[in-house]
Amino acid sequence: MSTKQVLVFVEQADGCARPVAFELLGAGRILADKLGAELAAFVACAAAGDLSETLIAHGADRVYVAEHPELAAYRTLPYRRVLIDLIAAMETPPHIVLFGSTTTGRDLAPRIAAYFETGLTADCTELDIGPYEHTNSQDPSKVGLYPDCLYAIRPSFGESLKARILGPWKNPQMATVRPGVMVPLAPDAARTGTVHSVAVRLEETDLQLVVAETLRSMGEQVELQGAEVIVSGGYGLGNPEGFSLMYQLAACFENSAVGSSRKAVDAGWIAHAHQVGQTGKTVRPKLYIACGISGAIQHRVGMDKSATIVAINKDLNAPIFKFAHHGIVGDLYQVIPELIRQLKLQKTPTPDTSNVATHSL
Amino acid sequence: MNIFVLIKQVPDQGAKAGINPDGTIDRAKAKRMLNPFDRYALEAALHARRLYGGTVTAISMGPPPAIEILYEAIAHGVDQAILLSDRRLAASDTLATAYALYCTVRYAGAFDLVFCGLQTTDGDTAQVGPQLAERLQVPQITYCEKFEIDHNEIVARRVIEGGAQTVRCPLPAVVTVANSAPRLAYKTLRGARRVQQLQRDEAERSRVIRTVNLDDIGADPLRCGLKGSPTIVAATEKVGEIGGNCTLYQGKPLQQLVDDVLAAQVIAPELVKR
Repeated sequence: MSTKQVLVFVEQADGCARPVAFELLGAGRILADKLGAELAAFVACAAAGDLSETLIAHGADRVYVAEHPELAAYRTLPYRRVLIDLIAAMETPPHIVLFGSTTTGRDLAPRIAAYFETGLTADCTELDIGPYEHTNSQDPSKVGLYPDCLYAIRPSFGESLKARILGPWKNPQMATVRPGVMVPLAPDAARTGTVHSVAVRLEETDLQLVVAETLRSMGEQVELQGAEVIVSGGYGLGNPEGFSLMYQLAACFENSAVGSSRKAVDAGWIAHAHQVGQTGKTVRPKLYIACGISGAIQHRVGMDKSATIVAINKDLNAPIFKFAHHGIVGDLYQVIPELIRQLKLQKTPTPDTSNVATHSL
Repeated sequence: MNIFVLIKQVPDQGAKAGINPDGTIDRAKAKRMLNPFDRYALEAALHARRLYGGTVTAISMGPPPAIEILYEAIAHGVDQAILLSDRRLAASDTLATAYALYCTVRYAGAFDLVFCGLQTTDGDTAQVGPQLAERLQVPQITYCEKFEIDHNEIVARRVIEGGAQTVRCPLPAVVTVANSAPRLAYKTLRGARRVQQLQRDEAERSRVIRTVNLDDIGADPLRCGLKGSPTIVAATEKVGEIGGNCTLYQGKPLQQLVDDVLAAQVIAPELVKR
């Protein structure tokens, strides 16, 4: 098997792929097509069930499945072992391997990269394929023209710069990708692919770490990444009570969540789980309403892919008005109650379908 | 217990001095500080010593001024420190950094625990801890916010998406500490006095803070610095000012203003709850 491959690590829980896996497949599909390569998915689990078909429907040409009771929940060392064994057994290593920048991806990817002594770029927000000519003569062995490099692009220096990181000298070229940034493909049941079972060979030392307990949805679950509408509050709310207004506005929408900027989280007005931006979540809802948020770069990188951005701010000079699509200049404590009132008035028993048809997102 | 803690000196991004007009860091001018994430790792190391005894060794890689953060660690109660400083380390990426730190840990001797900050504020990769664990061939616990040690085994709570996980594994292990872990306490009076003494007494200083280079730790220079780094920063681009296309609604009576916004279908009707 010498076909060029882009390999995606699939995160799963109880046999269900996590959303980031579909995002990686969407991004991986684009890279694979540019490279003329095959898109492969790797999943480790206790029992894959129909997961392979789901991954193929989302863009995979090939699915490697490692099934073993010890692989039920993610643990560094067993997962490390099967993935290393899979890659090492290939005639040619994958051209690219992608992981999500999740607690799992960031735990596993560095170990795989260190094992293969290859490059790994963290927390990418854009990926592309392109040529690169290395002319630096400090290391003559690296000089040359490389046609098919992974362009791993990530924010740096407090997100004021985008850095393009390359490592074309050795395959696989690896990256972790920030969740919520890449676009998954619409699943297509007609898509075809092959499923390959991976031999699982675990050693005693791989099993020395034991997961005693896993608690998900501790406290409040904030579904920012699945929401179509996000109402976000910033420091401009002036006080923690301002978030009750955010919840009231969010309640006007069908599928909504409340977000926040870092300053509001740091002030202790709302939990970190709501934070959008560099050290919070990356979101791309259909509608993002930023209330009292100045629009610092750290916040912007988390939300500027939203289809429509509406900013409500008193300060006409706030940077958010530079990249929002619509700006309402005014006191949010006056504007939002009026907005809520009129949205509620708009309610009609029969929705105006002509609006739906003409509005493009 | 033989406890190591890895710390790094980073540019202070809060300080305006040292930021070039294009947004890059002028490392010569930038104010420097202890990586904020490493404060949690230091606290974890000191906490482990408080409960289980032993010594804490702080390890840092960086240019000579990085000794400042080793003094800071000593003021907080760290027993001794090692500074790996060598020009051949310039432009190390995470793989090369993890290799150099691995050689330093090996030089420093047997260990039960290596604590690392979750990530640094200048690189933001969170990769060096796991890469070090891979080189050391030991288990790792990342995103750790709480731990205890019982019969040569660490039991730790780690943060995961939307929750937490309790794991246990035998020592030795590498632990990266989340910023939801306990904060670093104040410097101790004893620690501050110790630093004063070290600054006066050169012989004592070189005994407590060892400065080493690649040859001292037996590292292969070809695996360090630019030569040992499989990745390079090929290009940087200032995040562009988007703009000018924002439709503004202002200067009208409130009711009419909101009316205009809704009439313009700024908010897609199908998103509104019926």
